[in-house]
Amino acid sequence: MTNMKNIFTFLFLIFAFAAVSQTPAKSQKKQIVLLNGTAHIGNGTIIQKSAIGFDNGEITFVSDVREYEIQYTDDIIDITGKQVYPGFIAPSTTLGLVEIEAVRSTRDFDDVGFINPHVRAEISYNTDSKITPTIRTNGILLAQVCPRGGLISGTSSVFALDGWNWEDAVCKTDDGIHINWPTRFSGGGWWAEPEPLKKNENFEKTLASLQKFFADAKAYSQKGQTETDIRMEAMKDIFSGEKRLFINVDLAKDIIEVVYFAKQFGIPHLVLVGAREAYLVTDILKINNVAVVLDRVHDLPVSPDRDIDQPFKTPKQLQDAGVLYCLSYRGGMETAGMRNLPFTAGTAVAYGLTQEQALSAITLNTAKILGIDDKAGTLEGGKDATLFVSSGDALDMRTNNVELAFIKGKKLDLDNMQKQLFAKYKNKYSGK
Amino acid sequence: MKKIILAFLFNFPLFIFHSFSQETFPVNGTRENNKLYYAFTNATIFTDYQTRIDSATLLIKEGKIEAAGKGINIPEGAVITNLKGKFIYPSLVDVYTSYGLPEPKKESAGQGPQIESKTKGAYAWNQALKPEFNASSVFAADAKKAEELRKNGFGSVLTLQQDGIARGTSAFVLLADEKENKLLLKEKTTACYSFKKGNSTQDYPSSQMGSIALLRQTYFDAQWYALTNKVEKNLSLQSWNDIQSLPQIFDADDFLSALRADKLGDEFSKQYIIKGSGTEYRRMDEIKATNASFILPINFPDPYDVEDPFDALLVNLNDLKHWEMAPTNPSAFEKNNIQFAITADGLKDQTKFWKNLRKSIELGLSETAALKAITYSPAQITGMENVVGSLKPGLKANFLITSTNLFDKKNIILENWVDGISYKVNTLDVQDIRGIYNLSIAGTINYKLNIEGEERKPTAKIFFTDTVSIPADIVVERKFITLSFPVEKGKTDLIRMTGVAEGKELSGRCQLPAGTWTDWKATYKDAFVEKPKKDSTDNKPKEIGKLVYPFTAFGWSEQPKQETVLIKNATVWTNEILGKMEGTDVLIENGKIKIVGKNIAGVVNAKVIDGTGKHLTTGIIDEHSHIAISKGVNEGTQASSAEVRIGDVVNSEDINIYRQLSGGVVASQLLHGSANPIGGQSALIKLRWGLVPEKMKIENADGFIKFALGENVKQSNWGDNSTVRFPQTRMGVEQVYYDAFIRAKEYEKKLSAGTERRDLDLDAIVEILNKKRFITCHSYVQSEINMLMHVADSMGFKVNTFTHILEGYKVADKMKAHGVGASTFADWWAYKYEVMEAIPYNASILTEQGVTTAINSDDAEMGRRLNQEAAKSVKYGGMSEEDALKMVTLNPAKLLHLDSHMGSIKEGKDADVVLWSDNPLSIYARAEKTFVDGVCYYDSENDLLLRDEVRKERARLIQKMIAAKKGGEKTQKPEKKEDKLYHCDTMEEQN
Repeated sequence: MTNMKNIFTFLFLIFAFAAVSQTPAKSQKKQIVLLNGTAHIGNGTIIQKSAIGFDNGEITFVSDVREYEIQYTDDIIDITGKQVYPGFIAPSTTLGLVEIEAVRSTRDFDDVGFINPHVRAEISYNTDSKITPTIRTNGILLAQVCPRGGLISGTSSVFALDGWNWEDAVCKTDDGIHINWPTRFSGGGWWAEPEPLKKNENFEKTLASLQKFFADAKAYSQKGQTETDIRMEAMKDIFSGEKRLFINVDLAKDIIEVVYFAKQFGIPHLVLVGAREAYLVTDILKINNVAVVLDRVHDLPVSPDRDIDQPFKTPKQLQDAGVLYCLSYRGGMETAGMRNLPFTAGTAVAYGLTQEQALSAITLNTAKILGIDDKAGTLEGGKDATLFVSSGDALDMRTNNVELAFIKGKKLDLDNMQKQLFAKYKNKYSGK
Repeated sequence: MKKIILAFLFNFPLFIFHSFSQETFPVNGTRENNKLYYAFTNATIFTDYQTRIDSATLLIKEGKIEAAGKGINIPEGAVITNLKGKFIYPSLVDVYTSYGLPEPKKESAGQGPQIESKTKGAYAWNQALKPEFNASSVFAADAKKAEELRKNGFGSVLTLQQDGIARGTSAFVLLADEKENKLLLKEKTTACYSFKKGNSTQDYPSSQMGSIALLRQTYFDAQWYALTNKVEKNLSLQSWNDIQSLPQIFDADDFLSALRADKLGDEFSKQYIIKGSGTEYRRMDEIKATNASFILPINFPDPYDVEDPFDALLVNLNDLKHWEMAPTNPSAFEKNNIQFAITADGLKDQTKFWKNLRKSIELGLSETAALKAITYSPAQITGMENVVGSLKPGLKANFLITSTNLFDKKNIILENWVDGISYKVNTLDVQDIRGIYNLSIAGTINYKLNIEGEERKPTAKIFFTDTVSIPADIVVERKFITLSFPVEKGKTDLIRMTGVAEGKELSGRCQLPAGTWTDWKATYKDAFVEKPKKDSTDNKPKEIGKLVYPFTAFGWSEQPKQETVLIKNATVWTNEILGKMEGTDVLIENGKIKIVGKNIAGVVNAKVIDGTGKHLTTGIIDEHSHIAISKGVNEGTQASSAEVRIGDVVNSEDINIYRQLSGGVVASQLLHGSANPIGGQSALIKLRWGLVPEKMKIENADGFIKFALGENVKQSNWGDNSTVRFPQTRMGVEQVYYDAFIRAKEYEKKLSAGTERRDLDLDAIVEILNKKRFITCHSYVQSEINMLMHVADSMGFKVNTFTHILEGYKVADKMKAHGVGASTFADWWAYKYEVMEAIPYNASILTEQGVTTAINSDDAEMGRRLNQEAAKSVKYGGMSEEDALKMVTLNPAKLLHLDSHMGSIKEGKDADVVLWSDNPLSIYARAEKTFVDGVCYYDSENDLLLRDEVRKERARLIQKMIAAKKGGEKTQKPEKKEDKLYHCDTMEEQN
């Protein structure tokens, strides 16, 4: 009976998802030039009337329009009055690893076990998610896709949000390993009568097991081993710096401990994820070159005593302190909600950043932190032509209106299931 | 065998105590004379809390007070004890204990829902109702515990089982070591209640509003049982009725619960005695208005370890402040003339009782009030004042002999007499051996010996010469004095001596380091002069921080007032036919919008705000919110919980009220969750930060109720155990509604005939049918939306609002025809199967089809950015900016039937307005000022001052805590607190 039920559920899901997703874009045939748009480079500069050329998937030039001489072989698109941006990048997501949070069979981001550095997001990434086309229509063209759960969750990869399959879509394979720093407090009481979080009695033990695993993995990475441990194999590149180490941590004191943990093992690239109290320890982050993937700006303060706008103004505090940081949309409903990432950058502007600083926090800074700034994050010659045109300010929801988008020069189909449903029912009511 | 002998030896003293005779019990041994008079003379006697008589006599016989006062004749043959210099008080009374009762029985909870009670027999339907419980029937004396309580001065207690919602009756018992037959002073002394279901494993109730509803329903059921019932025997309801005339004690675990309990009592003309929580000082005006007597705990919190500035961040201001203010709670009651008793309940460490009580006295509680609260008041409020609590003739001979004033820090309780039997706590008389002596050992060695310190705990010093001295160890036990000290300064070889005091002389035998025995003698030379000691506590600053309302960071020390305000030259979004008006003035006065126009002149005494470059809108109204709710948003344990009311559990202390004001929100519908097809009744509030729940509710607002459809009510995502409760399909959901409405119609007819049992669940459904209550229905997919409209049409009611309504766009035409409104999310989707076809264009299509459409939050975080959420409809579907703003202002006002006085900027409407830094739909806009009823509850500049106050107050308290720790106070580790945020599918996880 249960089997029958499962089969029905399965069939049901198949039919439910029968609507065909958007066809991946075709490769670029000739140089495209976007003319007269306001170019937001991503590094803090703006070119009011710009010319942006790209060919073979790469940006060939970005200049003032007056410096561009028309080539008749170019495919010229006039974008006068419009804004052009490098593709926004969403770090620390589970996009493509989960379709419907409440349906277990669609969840693919958290495997059994405590220490799983070897599980890889790359091969699980679903290019055909119905969610992805609704994300990129707001300007997000790249995402870091991460395993979650356990102590060491696994290995992430960075994807461009277009492609026939994961091989096609991947932008950087196995970019980093993700760790959930053990928490010093764990829950108590029940939801109607919450008790204060109690000291996590397992904290020291968990920390010790993490220490040991790192010590072992470091030794393993240093000389030839006769027996292979695929978990430790996965860790090797952390110590060489080829992979980055992402550690989820929030409280200031834990952040300090994490910084010294990484120092102890000589980790070249440490990135904090979450880091809601990073604003309290900016000096130590700056001195040690620790980067921050900041949790969602649209969040509540961590306690009633904090400034009511603390999450809104944290980006400004990190900016002023000179910490390398970027914005993420991690948290509840993160995949479907990711399309709001640009607006969280907008809020950071309302609370102190300049618009171009906020833009960097979802483009160049993110690219640097993920180690993809050689090909993404700004509108600069030599980088991938992953960019988009909006009719208005893309950080404000009123004016974010993506009219054109390219990934590696390939023009995206900006349709999505939601637009189709909109059209379908508009037609129903207009009698068409 | 050895063990048996040991056991016998240890228990020997108990046999003595237990040998007191009882009338109906055969005597083992010979008769004892227990009819002697005992007289206590020359004492300072408090015959009651307010009557002090010096040099007085207390006379008792056969466990009763015969007389107390001056000039009392002492009968011949009385046992006389001279208590010169000592004090006598009535023994203490604690009316909130579980002394001598077994641990409440705990049923093991099974997997999955438990819909029915596990109590076997003809009892109440709900396992948390145990009015039949009778403490006296299971009371068994506990000698060890009794001794512990007597040590603190207690002589009698009320004992009750602290388990369940209706907890049955308590017993009043003595703390003597006698047979229960003598200890039990009164069975069924009080009836006891709480909002906590305790050990009950039954699902219902899972929230505090459910507990309130259960009590309310039970009052009606009991009335019905007494008057009209002919169909069932119910021993619980029988007991419930039997105990209604007793004093009724209600355990309220915070001050809001205390107010809720009192309000519930008022509905049924019950005046509860409230067992408080120690947080009542936060709202004394309302506490006084309850007219209740209180039983107050004094389990004040320990200071936190706050040396580490990071760890200190984990402790919230209200906990820091509570540490400081909790000891002021009793004196707040005294100042307000509210009768209160003090209980040791909740003290993990009983030795803290006196320490904490003295702390309260230091902070303003008078000694008279303190004495009253531990003697007379507890007796009086439980109807036992003619038995215990004072030393009037005829009362129980329960009294304390103390070394000095009871509240003096140095006081020692010497004896505690219970029922005329003496229990030694400390030796009654000790000889004061303090003084300066000549010590001679073996008649040859001569030293000076100083015995100093406290009478009952002396210290000693040996002077080898006038300048060379060394402390000696001294122990005084009964008549024996033991001294030991080194033979010379710097050596470890000890001289050890033991002797007795006779008159002023001490003498005895001693052993020298080599083991030789010899005599010693100490001759009294001079009196010991006590050096005036600096009392460290007297130097401590007694400064206590200000009370703030509500009691949290960003609470007001002074509540903001209604003002006359003229906002000049702003862009005013009227939401009226005039639309968006540039360069316009708005005058607000007496909480209303007085004038909207250009260049308003001639206004005197108005506070003028320059609105140049700024935008003024009416305040945001959140149609779907779960902030400001205490202890549970879902009573999802039954398919219908129409009887529960969010209005019973509004929480005025939630920081999210203030946070949302900072996002321009002025009013919210606080909704029940979506765990069942028929949920609970809503509360409509304005965000009047600082006022109590009753004053936050919108006056004369219509009643609303939450309905819900889809996966939540089918329990689809609750795990594999939740497959028992009907309904599990959308088919079943429809039938729940038909059943409810058909039954409600029949019920209404019978109710008017006067024979029907009041059913609060059906009452709410009848209100819907009579257009007295309106439905907000949680909904997602089109089929179910369509279904409910059909049910409504065929049953003769209208659905007022579909909330969430993510597939509303598919049936917008049908919704328009039904006349129902929509309150939706801007762009949520994909989090569960039923929202896979949710689209952000929903609001635009609904609006275009003529459905009144709002954007709501259902989320404390999003609630403060609803202007941004509304703006998304400009992006998705191309809505006009003015229409978009209406979706979070005028339209929700319409859906909540508040638009006659809210929702637009129009002369005569409520002055609920927000001044924005920018176009309110822009991501860059910030609310600068938020007015509710003309009161500025949020001002971005004032907010900076409040932040500063939070910082300073935290710093002050942290310094004070560290000082307290240095002063020797025990501390506790900081613990991280997380705010509980509710969504409509927040469910009970455990209890």
